Amino acid sequence: MNVSYPVKGEHLHKRFKNQIVLDDVSLTLQEGEIYGLIGPSGSGKTTLVRILLGLEKADSGNVELFEQRPTLNAFRSLGYMAQSDALYNELSAYQNLDFFASIQGMGGKEKKQRILEVAKSVDLEKDLKKNVAQFSGGMKRRLSLAAALVHSPRLYLLDEPTVGLDPMIRRNIWTLFHYLKGKGATIIVTTHVMDEVAQCDRVGLLSEGKIIAQGAPRDLMAQYGVPSVEEIFIAIEKEGAKK
Amino acid sequence: MRNLFAMARRIIHQIVRDKRTLALLIIAPLLILTLVWYIFGAKASEPNLAIIHYKSSDLLPAFKSADYERMSPLQARQSLADKKIDAYVDLKTPVKVHLEGSDPSRNGLAMSKIQKSMQAVQQINVKKMKTELTGAIQTQQKTIQAQQQTLRQMTEVMQRYAPSALATIMQNAPKGEKPHAAAAPEKVKLDVTYLHGNDDLNTFDSFGPAMVGIFVFLFIFMIGGVSFLRERTTGTLDRLMASPIKNYQIIWGYMIGFGLFVIVQSFILTCYIVYVLNIYDIGHLLDVLIIVFILSFSALSLSILLSTFASNELQMFQFIPLVIVPQVFLSGLFPIDTLPGWVRALGNLMPIHYSTEALRNIMIRGTGFSGWWFDGLILVLFSIVFIAINILVIRASRPVVD
Ligand SMILES: Nc1ncnc2c1ncn2[C@@H]1O[C@H](COP(=O)(O)OP(=O)(O)OP(=O)(O)O)[C@@H](O)[C@H]1O
Ligand SMILES: [Mg+2]
Repeated sequence: MNVSYPVKGEHLHKRFKNQIVLDDVSLTLQEGEIYGLIGPSGSGKTTLVRILLGLEKADSGNVELFEQRPTLNAFRSLGYMAQSDALYNELSAYQNLDFFASIQGMGGKEKKQRILEVAKSVDLEKDLKKNVAQFSGGMKRRLSLAAALVHSPRLYLLDEPTVGLDPMIRRNIWTLFHYLKGKGATIIVTTHVMDEVAQCDRVGLLSEGKIIAQGAPRDLMAQYGVPSVEEIFIAIEKEGAKK
Repeated sequence: MRNLFAMARRIIHQIVRDKRTLALLIIAPLLILTLVWYIFGAKASEPNLAIIHYKSSDLLPAFKSADYERMSPLQARQSLADKKIDAYVDLKTPVKVHLEGSDPSRNGLAMSKIQKSMQAVQQINVKKMKTELTGAIQTQQKTIQAQQQTLRQMTEVMQRYAPSALATIMQNAPKGEKPHAAAAPEKVKLDVTYLHGNDDLNTFDSFGPAMVGIFVFLFIFMIGGVSFLRERTTGTLDRLMASPIKNYQIIWGYMIGFGLFVIVQSFILTCYIVYVLNIYDIGHLLDVLIIVFILSFSALSLSILLSTFASNELQMFQFIPLVIVPQVFLSGLFPIDTLPGWVRALGNLMPIHYSTEALRNIMIRGTGFSGWWFDGLILVLFSIVFIAINILVIRASRPVVD
């Protein structure tokens, strides 16, 4: 079997001033998996994702995208959704998507069609004409997700994509993730929601700058002898406290 | 290329949809310039003046009652204290002027008016001397005529009784020369010619070129800087950086997108001051536009650069007293020849300094390309340097193989 690695980070170190945020983190994603990155607030999830993307420079270690040093071209196959919404508030939803599609090199009919398609998949097709400034928090979140999807990338890096969304929409979005995965996409998603964690193929637990546990949710439950994903988290935290 | 235009188009959409910003960009400079025009362009008001001790004075005709109120000394002193008049003139010789004195510009107005009257006073004095002189000359002439009469009679008598003696006398007599006709007195009036401009040139006309530069720079600086800053703070810049767009495309996209508004803005602004406010302008509109356009490019690129060092809008506006205000003072609004060398050197680092120089050359001195190419070139260099630094800054924050 020809296994390829859409993202690979090796021995990543990162510190902000005196604070060590990442301490020798290595992470490899397999093609076609959903990888959940969990960990307490401030543990460095966002920082790790940004380093994998090349938005932040690691102090040491190296990153590969699609098995080579990150190039601008690699970004064509990459969809990033930041923890903040990162939208142009003065523009309409359509203009936002149009812009993000354009800088990904899309154009013409294909672009138009794709915009309507992604808007539909995040349930915003009726609000495309609206100004983003008039959007609710959840609508902005969904539009932000749509902007990461619009160019149909093969790799998604999504930083808390479902925060602030109601359970119904959240479920739809996870259905969408599974659909994308079915089409061969690789997804790395950070989250604090445990039932989402259960839907990941693999989970990495980031704490104090290290990935302290990694594996399929079910394996981790067995490993720690706990009945739910939530309790893995708590068990590990306790273990850490003991040390 | 497509990315570049996508960037530019997005910025245009953003500005067009943000009506307030659009208004700020286009209307605010017009409003402020109109205000400045009223303040500096208006004809200076007339000073209020009075005279005292005028009854016995021959100088009275020099002080027309339309310009000088007639007052008693007590009245005048009181009015001066109440600021009802700016100055009064005491016509008792020697003539004395008493000024109110608290406002230099009013002092100046009063003095220049009084000096004009004093010229008339001199003319009166000259005329007086002239009449005295003519009187003296006339009496002398009468005496001479009487003597000539006597002489003539003596000659007649001598011709009759001793003709030979007369002939000898006539031969030795000095040849009388006819007095020259007195040359017409020359008019004592200064003939003034202007190398540039004319005597109608008011303060606004000379401020205008600097003002245009200042406002274009200020508004582009604010709007451009904030808009790029937002790109950073909202995270959209991160999204751009996680896309295949190239570093230079981000910066040039901004330049092109804003450039379009700059063209519109500078066109409206320039037409407004030239055709509505009637600023003194003998140059070509196109030359003015070109300068304004490249100036705003340097404003835009500088504001993008400085937005790197700001983490919110307030911090961006903190650059205004640092970057804009010194430029206002060193731009050429006020003479800087007497300032210490280092201040002048600082002025040479300021874009508005060059735009003012260029615009003055174009609008007031009417020079064409030869008069502004150098300043224009420096403005272009400013922009190029700022743009290059901007691209490097973005590149440094994007650890990706290009
Ligand atoms: N630009 C920065 N400068 C200084 N410190 C930073 C910076 N960005 C992040 N940090 C610090 O790095 C640590 C990790 O931050 P990060 O945003 O990666 O956490 P996180 O795991 O994503 O948290 P959350 O779950 O709340 O999003 C935090 O302690 C934060 O204070
Ligand atoms: Mg985070």
